[in-house]
Amino acid sequence: MSPNTQPGSTGGEVSSATDGRGALDLSVRLGDLELQNPILTASGTFGYGLEFAPLTTLEQFGGLVTKGLSLAPRPGNPPPRICETRGGMLNSIGLQNIGIHAFLDDVLPGLADYPSQVIVNLFGTAQADYVALAELVDAQAGIAAVELNVSCPNVKKGGIEFGHDPKMLSGLVSAVRSATSKPVIVKLSPNVTSPAELAKSARDAGADMISAINTIIGMSIDTWSRRPRLHTVRGGLSGPAIKPIALRIVYDVVNAVDCPVIAIGGVEDVDDVLEFLIAGASAVQVGTALFRDPQRGPSLVDELESRLAEQGYSSVSDIIGSIVLPTPRDEEHP
Amino acid sequence: MGAQDVASGECDGSGTAVQDVLAEVLSVEPLPLPYYALHLKVPAAFGVSAPGQFVMAMASPSELRLKPFLRRAFSVFDQEPLEGATNGERHIQLFGKIIGPGTSSLAECRPGDEVAVLGPLGVGFTLPSRGRAALVAGGVGSAALLLLQRALSERSVEHDFLYGGRSTVDLAASVTFAELARRSGGRYLPSTEDGSTGHHGLITEVLAEGLAESRYQHVFTCGPEGLMRAVARLAAAHDCPGQAALETAMGCGYGACLGCAVQMVNGEIQLCCKHGPVFDLAEVSW
Repeated sequence: MSPNTQPGSTGGEVSSATDGRGALDLSVRLGDLELQNPILTASGTFGYGLEFAPLTTLEQFGGLVTKGLSLAPRPGNPPPRICETRGGMLNSIGLQNIGIHAFLDDVLPGLADYPSQVIVNLFGTAQADYVALAELVDAQAGIAAVELNVSCPNVKKGGIEFGHDPKMLSGLVSAVRSATSKPVIVKLSPNVTSPAELAKSARDAGADMISAINTIIGMSIDTWSRRPRLHTVRGGLSGPAIKPIALRIVYDVVNAVDCPVIAIGGVEDVDDVLEFLIAGASAVQVGTALFRDPQRGPSLVDELESRLAEQGYSSVSDIIGSIVLPTPRDEEHP
Repeated sequence: MGAQDVASGECDGSGTAVQDVLAEVLSVEPLPLPYYALHLKVPAAFGVSAPGQFVMAMASPSELRLKPFLRRAFSVFDQEPLEGATNGERHIQLFGKIIGPGTSSLAECRPGDEVAVLGPLGVGFTLPSRGRAALVAGGVGSAALLLLQRALSERSVEHDFLYGGRSTVDLAASVTFAELARRSGGRYLPSTEDGSTGHHGLITEVLAEGLAESRYQHVFTCGPEGLMRAVARLAAAHDCPGQAALETAMGCGYGACLGCAVQMVNGEIQLCCKHGPVFDLAEVSW
């Protein structure tokens, strides 16, 4: 549903709001990508979706973003691959995945039963890999959009090089842009001086949307053995610990580009979702929270609906970008 | 919907679907510190666990904690119908050792508190129907072996229970293990590194003796990695098949985070939570 349609005309896609004023419109439109609500899974936190159907209500997600897929299957990094940190966790999975062909043949048909949009996260070590992946998914009706992973901190080669160099990113995005008619989302790294600059490069090269952020590079040491707690020494930090950083970057990116932005980073509760929406994100991905609570996605959708109703909104799109900034007068009295 | 069929049995070694439930704490049984047994009331929908299966548990699930941030994996130590249950609720026991924020937050629960329990998860032990088995437990690793003992007893498989620890305190659940082993016709063989109970030394020395006498046709183990590695070497040296329940740090327990990688001999990486936690001793790259 377009946010421009009349409130209450969503055709029963969303359940009635609790205040009895009719259906609250949770749907969002991100360019050509329509979502029944703004809650998506974050890549790498929910496999390929289908295998977790018994643990959650898949159909309640606005979208499912797959684990990063490469042309050939990847075994990933040696253990240990994760460790808990205060308010989050470090991971260094190394993009273990079943490969695009197994996904298209074995998983995608099963996802057709769900109204949630399927977004494939694509990863390669060279530009040609991304192009080949984009060409492979182009004809697949069950795929709503592609998200380019140019920001994984846990693999030695590829991916991240594109996410750190505006020129390389620009070349990659235009090549992928020509290879598919699907909406192209570029997932940005926070591990750069100015994510907003990279967002501009991606947008100028034809990206339809920006998603941010990927994990923040971190490290942890076991003080008894004095060994790093990850085999790769460094890993990607996720969880509520990173949310304020994610919010700042999302806000900067929103102000730098004229396209929809999808927020990622430490979402735990409905206030986190609302903060990202108010800052200007059109949708929000939830990831690490699903590890603690596999039902967190659907419960966020429910909580978002009742919270918006409680605050008198008729449509989620009304709150997007509604941040109230300090006025000059406020600044006189710090 | 939660009522959907379990997907291709991936999280499932017993034919029951995985459930994420709120369990009620019945009691926290204090064992000699740092050990405890957490007694939980789970709804009837919560599946019966196969020996070796586990759950992911988290205290006070409604509140976000900074530490522990993730759930913790626990073997299902024991399970039984709940006395006086009105709706088919059952009683499950988790056997814990306070080693960090996750295990202590569960030890601090009070009767009536809620604990989030996801399970039963993983693939459990493959059960033999004949021959004598050695069950080799190291400290709190014994938690994975009680349901196995019960299942072996049902199949009339004789087994010895080899229980190793640094000191007597580490043999916290010895009475039950000893009784079940003896009832099966087998022996209870404890060892402590300080000599306070049983054999003075390592439990693997006790195992080596039994294997040298060709006493065992199966070995099952759970405990610290060093113990399981030593058990794997001994079993291989005596051509005795065996299985280990691995204790790898897990992010989610249900195959989503891919964090609990286990390196296999054939070069593959498998997930402890999904392909295990029970693995063939000979297939793991120790």
